[in-house]
Amino acid sequence: MPNDSKRINGPDATVPYSIYTNLNSESSELLIKNQLQFRVDKRKHNEFRKMFIRIGVVSQAKGSAYVEMGQTRVICSVFDPREIPNKAQYSTQGELFCEFKFAPFASCKRKGHQQDAEEKEYSLIMQRALEPAVCRHEFPNFQVDIYALVLDNDGSALSTAIMAASLALANASVPMFGIVTAVTVVIYDDLFIIDPTYKEEALCLKTIKKLKPVNHGIIMQAMLSQHDQISEFFLTGSMDINFVNSSIDILSKTSNEIYPVLQEALRKSILKMIKKKNQQEK
Amino acid sequence: MTENEYSLRFLNCELNYLSVTDGSAIFMQGDTAVIAGVYGPVESKLHKMFYNKANVEASFRPMKGPPSVNDRLMESYIKDVCEASLITSLYPASSISVNIQELEDCGGLLASVINASCLALINSGLAMKFIFAAVCCMIDKESENVIIDPNMKQLNNAKAAFTCVFDNLNKDIICCQTSGRFTEKELLKSIEMCRETVQTIFTFYRDIVTKYATAI
Amino acid sequence: MESQYKTIHPAKYLRDHFASNIRPDGREFMSFRPVSVCVGSITKADGSALVKIGNTTVVCGIKAELACPKAESPDCGFIVPNVELAPLSSPKFRPGPPSEESQCISKLIEKILINSEAIDLKSLCIHKDKLAWVLYCDIISLDYDGSVIDACTTSLMAALKILTLPTVDYTPETGSIKIDKKNRIHIPLKQLAICTTFAIFDNQLLITDPTEDEEKHSLSTINIVFNEDDMCFVHKSGGIPVSQNLFSTCIIKAKNHGNQVRKLILAAVNCKT
Repeated sequence: MPNDSKRINGPDATVPYSIYTNLNSESSELLIKNQLQFRVDKRKHNEFRKMFIRIGVVSQAKGSAYVEMGQTRVICSVFDPREIPNKAQYSTQGELFCEFKFAPFASCKRKGHQQDAEEKEYSLIMQRALEPAVCRHEFPNFQVDIYALVLDNDGSALSTAIMAASLALANASVPMFGIVTAVTVVIYDDLFIIDPTYKEEALCLKTIKKLKPVNHGIIMQAMLSQHDQISEFFLTGSMDINFVNSSIDILSKTSNEIYPVLQEALRKSILKMIKKKNQQEK
Repeated sequence: MTENEYSLRFLNCELNYLSVTDGSAIFMQGDTAVIAGVYGPVESKLHKMFYNKANVEASFRPMKGPPSVNDRLMESYIKDVCEASLITSLYPASSISVNIQELEDCGGLLASVINASCLALINSGLAMKFIFAAVCCMIDKESENVIIDPNMKQLNNAKAAFTCVFDNLNKDIICCQTSGRFTEKELLKSIEMCRETVQTIFTFYRDIVTKYATAI
Repeated sequence: MESQYKTIHPAKYLRDHFASNIRPDGREFMSFRPVSVCVGSITKADGSALVKIGNTTVVCGIKAELACPKAESPDCGFIVPNVELAPLSSPKFRPGPPSEESQCISKLIEKILINSEAIDLKSLCIHKDKLAWVLYCDIISLDYDGSVIDACTTSLMAALKILTLPTVDYTPETGSIKIDKKNRIHIPLKQLAICTTFAIFDNQLLITDPTEDEEKHSLSTINIVFNEDDMCFVHKSGGIPVSQNLFSTCIIKAKNHGNQVRKLILAAVNCKT
């Protein structure tokens, strides 16, 4: 790691201890498939993990949300619109500024403090997923800052962050067309696994030397369930075209299942707010 | 208490050491030496401007190596102490910067830095509410005696070290920094001893300023 | 009406409250906000703690890595504490390199850790001159509402207390390293240093555990750190001069509060293990 003059630095060369633990990682197609077939947490393939949502967790922010998807934990906050800095032209549409960040201790391997290429890419995906959901014409020449921080990454971090961001936007009373739900699916051979854990994600992207590669990959889809519209589709890996079509069906179905959970969380937060306001007036 | 315990190392100072600054001082306390330069009040940069007071900035350059995270704390001490003593509301929308260069550190660096910046501020003629002076002291590991203004050799045997900055009006504490472990009693006793010594530095300030005043 | 008044005259709003002997959040001058500690919630970290002081929330995660010790101290490991004031915690912070404030807090936390002698760096050494642990302690603010240094110290201490490291089997002749992930051990934590923040206003008015609004308008702040039986750090970076009497009051208050928070950490850790 290069010496950072603005932080306290450790020794020059450090290695994570995990590289010394599993040296016998001999993998074959069958082995991977077997591992994926039966999920560690005994979930069905089309079942998403238990969610925990709290809205309005950051007192200093305009709106915020904390979402847990199993062991994946994401906190997101949204701030008041402010004038777009260093902008010469007038823009008729407001802008969203998204920053997606993994905490240094969130992943198996320690991440640096600076945003790396993956985090920058995810920031852009987040922005694209959220932009269609926000009534951007309502705040021309202004930008809304959205910061998402992954505290613990156990797979599907990006989709969890998008959901947290859309809840935070709603909590910040930013005008929106609907709530964005996002779901990740991993594909391996003929398996479709919804809401994968970190390990399942890693298994699917493992490359095996073979003449004809098996269908494998990760798909993340963000959609506005109310309107049945897809706002972002992100695919890595390689697979047959009909796989993409069928995965859209599965993802949309799960999105529709998750949507009421988010709605309920928002409803509760508003009820709480009204109750608090009534108490203050008394 | 022997007389020796209350005495500071040899103090030496030269004002107007730098030619282009608005106020400057080179200050030596024993073998610890620093140069301080004050610029200002000048027009502040727009994003750092306060409409009702001056923006005080501090920068500290170590003897060797580029500036790093280690100097930020030193800068915050310089900035906060100088800002407290200056009447910043007299210079709205302007900026005052205090720059310190370390020449040699033989113990009590923070105290020397604070004293040098006070002399530079006096030299710059900026309006101040009060002047300030810092005294460093330590508690010896074996004898548990309080030693005022220790040098590097003595500091190596320290159980704890303190640096306190006082104002000249009520001799109240402006700034306090510690290292090592100590008890409440030791802390309060050390602060008390520093307070008793600090007058020496204020007298020294007066002598220096008088010397330069007669030269004009 | 009250919220408008607060936005337009924040300083006067605060002064009016103080004049009637109360703080804007309904506390008395010398009372503290409730503290809560939650340890070991982050699965990917080797040790972690989430601390809340009122609204202020801070999370600390420790990741252990391996490195060769420095030549000048061959039997010592490393602790690298860094504080990040995340932009999500307050509109004051922007993304990018750490601000001066966060650099100062990082440095303060490092000083507190070293001065308190909480961890003996020698206990982090696996084999002299060859292999030692590096503990990367990353402290991130999630909600910045004053007294962040207190929250950072508490979370760091709690995370160090819960931290477990896998056992290492190191053969110096061949340099081979074997890690047993199942068998994890604690690092002896000798001290639990607890920091208490005070803010000072006009006429030497002293308040404890200030919120962000109070801190912003205060004339000076004091941080006092207590170990179990002695003090290890006092920090007042400048601002309005304070008398010795006020200083003594702070010390007594900090000692009591330190003992309470220390009990809380121990209780939280005991629940988990």
